[in-house]
Amino acid sequence: MIIKFIENIGNMTIVMLYAIYEALKFTLLCLIHLVNPNSYNSAMRMVLVKQIYFTAVTILPVFIAMATLFGSIIIGAVIMVATKYSLQNEIGSIIITFVIDEFAPFFTAFLIALRSGTAVNTEIAVMNVNKELNTLREYNIDLINYLFLPRIISGVLSVTFLALLFALIMLGSGYIFTMFYMHMDWHSYKYLLSSAIEVEDLVVLLLKSISFGFVIMLIPIYSGLKTAHSNTAIPISVLNGMVKLFIAIFFIEVLSLVLRLI
Amino acid sequence: MLENISLIKEVNFDMSIKDAHILANEFLDKIGLSYIGRFRINQCELSEIFFVLLIRALMTKERLVIIKLPYRLLYTLADIKNICQKIEILNNNKDILILDTFNNKINYKETICNIIE
Repeated sequence: MIIKFIENIGNMTIVMLYAIYEALKFTLLCLIHLVNPNSYNSAMRMVLVKQIYFTAVTILPVFIAMATLFGSIIIGAVIMVATKYSLQNEIGSIIITFVIDEFAPFFTAFLIALRSGTAVNTEIAVMNVNKELNTLREYNIDLINYLFLPRIISGVLSVTFLALLFALIMLGSGYIFTMFYMHMDWHSYKYLLSSAIEVEDLVVLLLKSISFGFVIMLIPIYSGLKTAHSNTAIPISVLNGMVKLFIAIFFIEVLSLVLRLI
Repeated sequence: MLENISLIKEVNFDMSIKDAHILANEFLDKIGLSYIGRFRINQCELSEIFFVLLIRALMTKERLVIIKLPYRLLYTLADIKNICQKIEILNNNKDILILDTFNNKINYKETICNIIE
């Protein structure tokens, strides 16, 4: 009984370590292809353009609407709380830290994960089940170059660009709230933000957006690739991929907080 | 379908998208199928899908193209003569081998195929 229990633990550990090794190997392969200039042929560039269009451009109306709505409410609440606790002097750094370092990349990552992450996971899983991936391999078409790399690059570019846009919209909303609650004029608000913002904030925004964008595409692709060859395996693949993706997003968020506290 | 065919040339021969599309369209035009260039797979008939698969194979650098059990893919096909004629029109410099079962031998009698048992 005890031996069986220990064997099971050992077996599970081996399976888990092998899965981690496989995932890391895939990540490394993608990174090698990412820096290899030979990966960028005309077909790949066309897929990249289309992917950026579907990930970052078609979402814009909904994204701007959501950023304005949620961003305004949340920044309004933050300013109201700061005013209530007499933190008017710190309002610039509060807005910058909250908007640029935390909320904009995190919220953008969630939106893109929900919209494009699920789509990519399903797409790759369906291609896998229909043996389209095998056909591409038969024709000597590198799957990483043609299918995965454009999606990963578009994820990184889209999340970064949209996070910046989200931050700008939130800062704009912040001005409206400071105007009403603190009777602040545009020049004072601009001065407040410019004196509070540091290069470190922008670096944090960029690094977090790049990391989020990378995992938002990489994890669904990997999950789609690991789909068993049956139609019923597709929803399971998407479900597993999304759970892993959200864990990864939270992990990056927590890691960035820990690194900044050190 | 145009993208499906041109992909081979774009990736394996580093051909530009424009040139690869022109070439793919030329092949489709040879057998009067240029109208399927913008179609997706669900808009195509079985014979049209068959020719897209064949043209895609002709785009590779392989010398030999093997068509395995065409009647299985083209299960509504009554006469393969027309298909063989179009294969001859499309083929420029490759050896095309059709593998089929003995039961279908009779269907190839009046075609240009060299039958080997």
